[in-house]
Amino acid sequence: MEAPRVAESPKTGNSFGTRFKKGFKEYRVAYLFILPTFLFMILVHIFPMIQGIVMSFLKLNQFTLSQYLNAPFAGVKNYFDLLFNESNPVRQGLGFALRNTAIYSVVVTVSVMVIGLLVAMLLNRDFPGRGIARAAMLLPWVVPSYVVGVLWGFMWQKEGIINHILVDILHVMADKPFWLIGQNTIWAIIIPTVWRSWPFIMVVFLAGLQTIPDDLYEAAKIDGAGRLRQFFTITLPMLKPVIAVQLLFQIINNVYSYNIVAMMFGNGSGYPGEWGDLLMTALTRQTFGYWSFGVGAAASFILMGAMLVVVGIWYRIFRSELRAE
Amino acid sequence: MSKKRISLIMLSMMLMVGMFLSACGSSGGNNGAGNQNGGAAANETDKNTNNSTGDAPKEDVTLTAWIMPNSPKPDKDFLTAMKPYLDQNPNVKLNVTVLDWGSAWTKITTAATSGQGPDILQLGTTWVPAIAAMNGIEDLTDLVGEVGGAENYLPASWKTTMIDGKSEVYGVPWFVDARALFYRTDALAQAGLDPATAFKDWDTFKETLSKLNGTEIEGQTMTAFGVPGKNDWNVPHNIFPWIWAAGGKVLNDDNTQVVFNDKTALDGVMYYTGLANEGLVDKASLEKNSSQIESDFSDGKTAVMVSGAWMIKNFATPEEDGGVAGKTAAKNYGVAALPAGPAGSSTFIGGSHLTIFKGSKHKEAAWDVIKFLSGDEAQLEYSKLSGQLPAKKVVMDSLKADPNYKALVEATDYGMSYPSIPQWGPCETALVKYFGNIWDIVAGVSGTYNEESIQKQLGDAANEVNAILNQ
Repeated sequence: MEAPRVAESPKTGNSFGTRFKKGFKEYRVAYLFILPTFLFMILVHIFPMIQGIVMSFLKLNQFTLSQYLNAPFAGVKNYFDLLFNESNPVRQGLGFALRNTAIYSVVVTVSVMVIGLLVAMLLNRDFPGRGIARAAMLLPWVVPSYVVGVLWGFMWQKEGIINHILVDILHVMADKPFWLIGQNTIWAIIIPTVWRSWPFIMVVFLAGLQTIPDDLYEAAKIDGAGRLRQFFTITLPMLKPVIAVQLLFQIINNVYSYNIVAMMFGNGSGYPGEWGDLLMTALTRQTFGYWSFGVGAAASFILMGAMLVVVGIWYRIFRSELRAE
Repeated sequence: MSKKRISLIMLSMMLMVGMFLSACGSSGGNNGAGNQNGGAAANETDKNTNNSTGDAPKEDVTLTAWIMPNSPKPDKDFLTAMKPYLDQNPNVKLNVTVLDWGSAWTKITTAATSGQGPDILQLGTTWVPAIAAMNGIEDLTDLVGEVGGAENYLPASWKTTMIDGKSEVYGVPWFVDARALFYRTDALAQAGLDPATAFKDWDTFKETLSKLNGTEIEGQTMTAFGVPGKNDWNVPHNIFPWIWAAGGKVLNDDNTQVVFNDKTALDGVMYYTGLANEGLVDKASLEKNSSQIESDFSDGKTAVMVSGAWMIKNFATPEEDGGVAGKTAAKNYGVAALPAGPAGSSTFIGGSHLTIFKGSKHKEAAWDVIKFLSGDEAQLEYSKLSGQLPAKKVVMDSLKADPNYKALVEATDYGMSYPSIPQWGPCETALVKYFGNIWDIVAGVSGTYNEESIQKQLGDAANEVNAILNQ
């Protein structure tokens, strides 16, 4: 069970260099196989990223775009404007987007994880028609996200089907509210995202659940553990690695969410409003709407840094889960 | 065991992400297909090269055209319009790439900065100054005489082929996007209104709308006026005609200062948004976009809307071809110019121009194609295919036999366009945002609707646009 940890083992006091040499000799062929991917990654990932960072220090707008990386150097002005210049409209806009993205990411992530896990546990039991049920549940996830945006855009309308169900049929509310303008917008973007995302989570949880050996539950039952106890002492701990990976995927997905919001409000040309704007739609508008590419690059870079911090925290929390093998 | 489990899960996730990505990519698929079609058609013309019956055999040229989705089958329709030319000039091969409006700006600016791009490039009217200032397109000043020059086109449209304050011409108008009122003749008849006077000026217009509000046709109660709110791609185009009619302007004469936040402009905004506030517009429509407003009108939910030439085409196209000819609205509609405000009538004129890409290696051949597309036959043909109004005045006038086209063409006399300045794109982005906030106020979901709250939004918009102008 206990895997030898090279780095922490006191016997191997070797430097990184010698260890690397030894590893290289041993896995020479493996490195050869990795090499093309590595080069490709540099080309399509690292190289543009460095370009983006350089851009974030330039006064790069429509007039200087033709000079591209030779555009006038702006120093940290782009960063300063974004973070501290209160009269800057961009900063005000990003404030709304940041708040909305935070609410959106937390609510969506928590909702899909809970719904996904609950449904996965339901579907993990043996019952007739289980296969069909599983396939049917996957349907929302098969719909491309931009189609989800367009469809829900119709459904959320004042005279649309959602208000019809809520007001005319269920009488939950007295008046038909606006969903696509004003404060309700935040729900109009959260709910379709949850609707589309949970089946994916569910499938992965289902895969995780099936790897938990039945004897654990049988042993627990003999010891007199109830369903709730079984869930908290067996299911949840055994699923921890899956939860860890899912959580990371969800956070990244939701913070970088764009399609649904963009399609719901004027097919990407509209302004989703103070309660509908997310970081990605705001950044896109900033960069390609206002044509201020330098500020856009700076904002992207700040976001990337913030995400690295989030991933770092995530890694610290789940480190043991990811290493225990 | 645990390692195996994680890798299994990871693998399944990657597979799913892959599926997800490919699903998302399908929107781009059209463009690729467009490319291939263009390529296939081009190959055919290539084979015919030897059968050329024209004068001395010309050198083979392959031209690339970047166009926007101007019609449901943009590449096919473009090649159909080009067919007579390609038949006559077998040495010319034409590759068509259809960009979508969302990503077009990025692709065009990338092309302009790298010098690698098409030969012929369609640009939206407000983009011409920006790309020209970027040195991305050819100066056509010496050539435009061959297509008749300024006199052949609408002033509002021609103005946008140049940068304000300069004399160079960078494009030739290809088609024009002009807006007018579409109204239900049966609803007007029922309310006892005469279309000739009902939409004369702001006062009669409001009166007309009040009388039309609640009209019942075929058991369906109509709201007077369909107006898209902020979730639209035309937000500024919808509002500016009313500002212009009130006597307001976008910028001052030398384009250095914003004036759309002055009192006259505010009057225009207040009049237009007031129609919604007074119940002549169903507030539910303020969540909708232009195409949803158009369907509401076709479905008989509204009696009046603002739209363009494509709706005349839709009303004439049978259902099986994607039109709405079968609807009651299709047989009972009329077109009129927007009502005159204190400063007279006005309408928004947009559309697209044809330009030659600076990096093109076949500029002469490209100009030849633009000349062909500016010819009367090609203008008419492409207008029929795309449902857009032709840019050339003669061709526009030839449509006047149809009373609806006649009204639309006459409305273009009052056409106005935005200042033709390189910074217009960012200015419009700012306007979309603040005009969007105005619609939120009108809908009653954000603050109270009064002159002060609207003036504040116009003021904020002015600050931002001023900052863009002075950067």
